[in-house]
Amino acid sequence: MTSSATTMDETEEQQDTRVPVTVLTGFLGSGKTTLLNRILTEQHGLRIAVIENEFGEVGVDDALVLDAEEEIFEMNNGCICCTVRGDLIRILGALMRRRERFDRIVIETTGLADPAPVAQTFFMDDEIAAQLRLDAIVTLVDAAHILDHLDEVKPEGVENEAVEQIAFADRIVLNKTDLVTEEHLTEVARRIHAINAPVEIIPAQQTKVPLTRILDVHAFDLDRVLEGDPAFLTDTEHQHDTTVTSVGIDLPGELDEQRLNSWLGQLLRTKGADLFRSKGILAIAGDDRQYVFQGVHMLLEAENGREWREGEPRRNRLVFIGRDLDRETLNAEFAACLTGARA
Amino acid sequence: MTAATRTATWTTAVDDAPIAVTTAGDLVAVAGAAGTAWILDLADGTPVGTLTLPGGLLTLEFSPDAAHLALAGPTGYGLWRRSDGRFLNSQTGAWSNAVRWATPDRVALASGRRALVLDTDGALQWSTDPAPSTVTDLAWLREGRRLVSSAYGGVRCHERHTDKPVAEYKYLGSHLAIALNPNGRWICTGNQDASIHIWRTRDGDELTMQGYPDKISRLAFDDTGRWLASDGAPDITVWDFSGKGPAGTSPRSLRAHENVTALAWRPGGSAVLASAGAEGTVAFWRAALGRAGGLLRPANARELPEAVTALAWAGPDRLVVADYEGRVEAWPLPDDLAL
Repeated sequence: MTSSATTMDETEEQQDTRVPVTVLTGFLGSGKTTLLNRILTEQHGLRIAVIENEFGEVGVDDALVLDAEEEIFEMNNGCICCTVRGDLIRILGALMRRRERFDRIVIETTGLADPAPVAQTFFMDDEIAAQLRLDAIVTLVDAAHILDHLDEVKPEGVENEAVEQIAFADRIVLNKTDLVTEEHLTEVARRIHAINAPVEIIPAQQTKVPLTRILDVHAFDLDRVLEGDPAFLTDTEHQHDTTVTSVGIDLPGELDEQRLNSWLGQLLRTKGADLFRSKGILAIAGDDRQYVFQGVHMLLEAENGREWREGEPRRNRLVFIGRDLDRETLNAEFAACLTGARA
Repeated sequence: MTAATRTATWTTAVDDAPIAVTTAGDLVAVAGAAGTAWILDLADGTPVGTLTLPGGLLTLEFSPDAAHLALAGPTGYGLWRRSDGRFLNSQTGAWSNAVRWATPDRVALASGRRALVLDTDGALQWSTDPAPSTVTDLAWLREGRRLVSSAYGGVRCHERHTDKPVAEYKYLGSHLAIALNPNGRWICTGNQDASIHIWRTRDGDELTMQGYPDKISRLAFDDTGRWLASDGAPDITVWDFSGKGPAGTSPRSLRAHENVTALAWRPGGSAVLASAGAEGTVAFWRAALGRAGGLLRPANARELPEAVTALAWAGPDRLVVADYEGRVEAWPLPDDLAL
């Protein structure tokens, strides 16, 4: 388990010149290849490098296309879910030693690939973290077939990859909306939000989505966590139909730092494997600045965010996306971290 | 120190970001990340020729007699013959991360999950069975008869008569680089999980050096086999393998860099180490000075205007360094280190 707390001053944040990396995932047939080709060929004036899992794409001017074969490495550090992608570490490492600079890097993964090791690579490898910035996990979804994928019954202990890919996403491109009815779309959106409440859904036909909505969107930036106040707190009603859900918490007040750290540490240690994503903006007693965190499984990145404004009520907002989350317990345990709560 | 105090024997420029330098006999070769290698005359830096691997370069190494040069990159490998300039370019599509000559006429190359042993005509002599991941590094034991390779899950030893390993040293995690103590007593690997793992070859007894902030991608024994230097932190650490080995001891810390990009022991066993950093420093160290657990400052340090990305000794009295912008320089050993 790793957690870090750093104080970054604002000038440093503004000078983040690291290259944004987009993870593009989705099942065969969701339109991923079409979208990749659009990213490569559209007149955007950007130098783009694409790392893809499957052979077949053709390189175009101003782009570099590299092939990767998934190599998942466990770490010998007692963190059971801290896997990284060895293939990405070596490919990105070699790419960064080149004099040629890229404006964007896109990593394509197959619909069967686990997004966690890809994301964790950006937390765990210092060489990569120093030069590259995980920008967003974008999942492409076929509006006509996603419900079948979500409902597919897997053998005991086997992950439903469609559920996992939706749970990890920062943006979902809901493709082929022209092939289904309005009612069907509403149902798809409801099911997606039941798994991943804060995710932004971008409807599309023939993968026609503005690239500015999926590339360089800063979804992993701590200062943009929960930006725009998405409706993640809406307690979605039909949650019995899935074991992967979102739990949002919004509580006024200030937190006892020691109690918070011990609770969060304990939660990540014991539930880390089931927690796909977590994000939060918190108010720590005695601290003028917001405390912002973002995590994937057991890995958590945290820092001081902006200052609380004059007269702004102190409040705590956080969201967990994961498997078998107990909403009531999480709420109660978090509330116990507030100052004034009984220890 | 300022640029004016540098005393380069020669300076030349190559048009790429160098990622590796190799020397042998009267030649130097510099690998550019984008795929071109420049062969230079060691005496004055004059270009002798260029070679290109289309998919980029990751490393290169001269045969000990300087008659051949092997190059490796993300999509294949190449073999150059000095006598007539013949260049065999093999685009395998497999990642080739390491090249090690066993003798002047036999070279091992990593190729995807296997290691290949080739003669100087590029003909395959033998190869290993596939490792659990892409092979990360190679080294030779027993006068070039036993090949040691690292990958995810540990280190494997192969010999010609069988494609199965003749010995395996397993340890969970991604092993990035190998250092062999010259007398074959120790096998060490640098790891993704920010540790050095050490096996005593005699009985497989293991030791792990932990507590580094970063992964260990570079580690090397000096020619005597007593000193092991590695990256993994801004400070280079040097472990003392004399006596029963480093168990229970502390390393010396060598402080000069923000980010170590290269390190190489001076040939011959004087315990002089050269190192380079992303901040542009090249440092020379007397690594045997001080005591275990102590902090050392460079015996001599020089600055280049750019990140220094590669260095190699050309014999005991000359160092070749290359920076990110393609500046290549040969320096004599600083006077105060020539003993």
